[in-house]
Amino acid sequence: MSAALLSLLIPLLTALILLLVRVRAGSLVILANATSLGCAALALHQVVINGAQQLNLGGWETPLGIRFELGPLTALLLVFTALIHLLVAIYAQRSRHSQTRDTDFWPLSCLLHASLGALWLSRDLFNWYVTLELLGLVAVAMVILSGPRSHVPALRYLLLSLAASLCYLLGVALLYGQYGVLDIRALAGVTSNDQVTRLALLLLTLGLMIKAALWPLHQWLPAAHAAAPTAVSALLSALVVKGPLFILWMLWDNVAPEELARQAGIFFAVAGIAALVSGGLAALRTPWIKVLVAYSTVAQLGYALLALGLLLYWQDATMSIALWLFVIAHGLAKVSMFLAAGEIQATLGSRHVSALKGASQTMPIAMFAFAVAGGSLIGLPPSGGFVAKWVLLQPLFLEPARWPWALGVLLGTLASAGYVFRVVAIAFDRADPNPPDYDPDVSAQWLAMLPALIVWAMALISEPLIEWFQEVGL
Amino acid sequence: MTSTLIYLCGGVSLWVLGLHALLVHRNALRRIMAVNVMGSGVFMVMVALASRDSAVDPVLQALVVTGLVVAASATAFTLRLATADPLDEDDQERK
Amino acid sequence: MAAEQLFDLTLILLLLGLAGAALHTRSLYTSIVLFIVFGLMLALTWARLGAVDLALAEAAIGAGLIGVMLLAALARSAADSTSQPARVPLSISLLLGVLVLALLIRAIQPLADSNSVLPALVDTHLDESGVSHPVTAVLLNFRAWDTLLELVVLLLALIGVRQLGSSGMALPPTWPLLRAWSRMLAPLTIIVGGYLLWRGSHAPGGAFQAGAVLAAGAVMLRLAGLLPAIRWSRWPVRALMLGGVATFALVAAGTHWMGDGWLNYPPGWSKQLILLIEITATLSIATSLTVLVIGENEHPAP
Repeated sequence: MSAALLSLLIPLLTALILLLVRVRAGSLVILANATSLGCAALALHQVVINGAQQLNLGGWETPLGIRFELGPLTALLLVFTALIHLLVAIYAQRSRHSQTRDTDFWPLSCLLHASLGALWLSRDLFNWYVTLELLGLVAVAMVILSGPRSHVPALRYLLLSLAASLCYLLGVALLYGQYGVLDIRALAGVTSNDQVTRLALLLLTLGLMIKAALWPLHQWLPAAHAAAPTAVSALLSALVVKGPLFILWMLWDNVAPEELARQAGIFFAVAGIAALVSGGLAALRTPWIKVLVAYSTVAQLGYALLALGLLLYWQDATMSIALWLFVIAHGLAKVSMFLAAGEIQATLGSRHVSALKGASQTMPIAMFAFAVAGGSLIGLPPSGGFVAKWVLLQPLFLEPARWPWALGVLLGTLASAGYVFRVVAIAFDRADPNPPDYDPDVSAQWLAMLPALIVWAMALISEPLIEWFQEVGL
Repeated sequence: MTSTLIYLCGGVSLWVLGLHALLVHRNALRRIMAVNVMGSGVFMVMVALASRDSAVDPVLQALVVTGLVVAASATAFTLRLATADPLDEDDQERK
Repeated sequence: MAAEQLFDLTLILLLLGLAGAALHTRSLYTSIVLFIVFGLMLALTWARLGAVDLALAEAAIGAGLIGVMLLAALARSAADSTSQPARVPLSISLLLGVLVLALLIRAIQPLADSNSVLPALVDTHLDESGVSHPVTAVLLNFRAWDTLLELVVLLLALIGVRQLGSSGMALPPTWPLLRAWSRMLAPLTIIVGGYLLWRGSHAPGGAFQAGAVLAAGAVMLRLAGLLPAIRWSRWPVRALMLGGVATFALVAAGTHWMGDGWLNYPPGWSKQLILLIEITATLSIATSLTVLVIGENEHPAP
């Protein structure tokens, strides 16, 4: 547990130091992220050896105090968070186009890191409310780093995020009013399928779905994520929307009465497929590079939603594994995609998709990174995206009654293949290449490639990982 | 109808009133006030729940104090964001 | 119906009327004034419900500082203060609102009678917490982690505002009467703030209320031109703002690696540690709120 706490505390203290002495040293942040990654890896190692660990904050037993739990999934998410932060920080420090050099990006990204750590570890409904507010505020503060142009989408994001928090908080108040506890495990044993519980879960779900940009409450995401500086877009799409998803999964998997969960499962699964299709179509149509990548996030979150829905509907724990493999594979691939897209649009001097003409010639490495990351999003073997999809599909093939859902997955795959090939096809149109405004920055392009390579390497460790998850549960 | 029930209903009414205004208005200041009214509604539900017994529930009251700070901080930030001058010199410089 | 319930019902109807008027009046200025009155009435409601801590906080924050910020924001955005047409026809949205409300009210009925085990637990452990006021015990001991994160939220709001560059509030030319009154009121706010902080250990009050009162005093002095500009670029200001989170985080780390566990105060030290955290938190909250309200001429890039 100490290692996990350290991986949360290091970014928090780094942020305070950066703010106090006003150095904007990216190298200090990179060092902090690397240390935090080491600590998170140590925590994961301890969980592998000793199993899940509990910590009662302040030494107070649960109904009174707040509980931290370091289980397999939490440890893995801590590693994932630190890794993404490290990769993005190295890019932001190295690239000329990250738009984050002399800004408060560094302390803010540290605070984001700490907030996410707090969210993954906590098991308390009200404490989650505070961490959700932290995530919302830090995300908006990071979006407006890119200047006045981003103010309008940022304001929309902030207002929606606040309203969503209040939706969530009302749900928490009702649950507390009914059961008198806030701890998720204490609630799990006592919930019954009555009117208050149903209403509370509805409110919690609405709030969390807005915050996680799950279809049909995703409209704020493309503008906000596309308006942010490149490094920030990567962090937002890879990590920030996953926080509320984690709470949603925890709530429905643990707290919700089974009968209710089955009913809600259908809704989540259908919304997931709708997200896959509508997000994919929007990504096919949009004229802007970064908006395309942002819509791809909406679509990919559909897989997570589908997995959540089927998990609840069939009460099949493998779906949880599929869900979190999707989240991790998507996070890594999306970092790569956003960094590549940002690097390309800054170098070519246009935010338009058509500006990518001939980019395979002018910026081959960044284009390759985009394509490799896209391959994982589509689910080409043996990428991380493929592994996740394989885990999701296996139970679907067991019974003929489940086959229609596989059709939904197929539709989603086709849509994602569509928008990835749209970009790649324009980039390979070498007849009249769009000349770059600046010299392409080779090392920054390689840094954009790195997460995509990691997601393909996920296939190597996925088998023991899945076996471990199946053995101990998440 | 007990006092607790009156305040519970009052709280959810404020919440709905705020949500409604948030959805129908376009002016940023009004929407910010709407979010604050929503917040007050949730807090009223919580305080009403805290005082339903003869022994007042200090946990809920403490949660509302925390919620109030969080809401006030967020409101301050939103207000400044809503009225930030889009052609601010500093921002232009930093681009 | 008993007189007490009649009072409650009147209060609620008044609050609803004020909120509705504040949100839908044509003139934005009137809206804001009504909203401030709404905040004051809300403080009265908290007092009626036995939540004195909240009444203090609401009066200082909800009505006071947020009111000042709203009026300042109105001054900055005078151009677009006319009411714009609604996006949805009013009748449809009203109908939907009433439906949602009916659903909510129907569902919350049973809540009025159930109860929680937590108040009894708080009572049992109050002696071990280091303070004798239960709300303070929850905020700074039982659920201290929430309070730590809440201070981070405040810090984030500050950093967010910093990204927006200058122009918090244009300081008007000083008004002699304001100067005179401020000279008298300022020491009073410090005394009241200090008193609230000290009182927090055994009665309603505490870091947040004290910080809010101090901030109100500082804002007044700054408006009267009696206080130098409080800028992020000065290191003591930054140290004050970060002090609350830093102390809290260091106490958490210290108790974890040298003591019994994360935020588990060693026996006999609870009182001192809570006091230390409360003092630094009060100063952080006071400075941060002051800067949020009158945040002036920042230059984000060094």
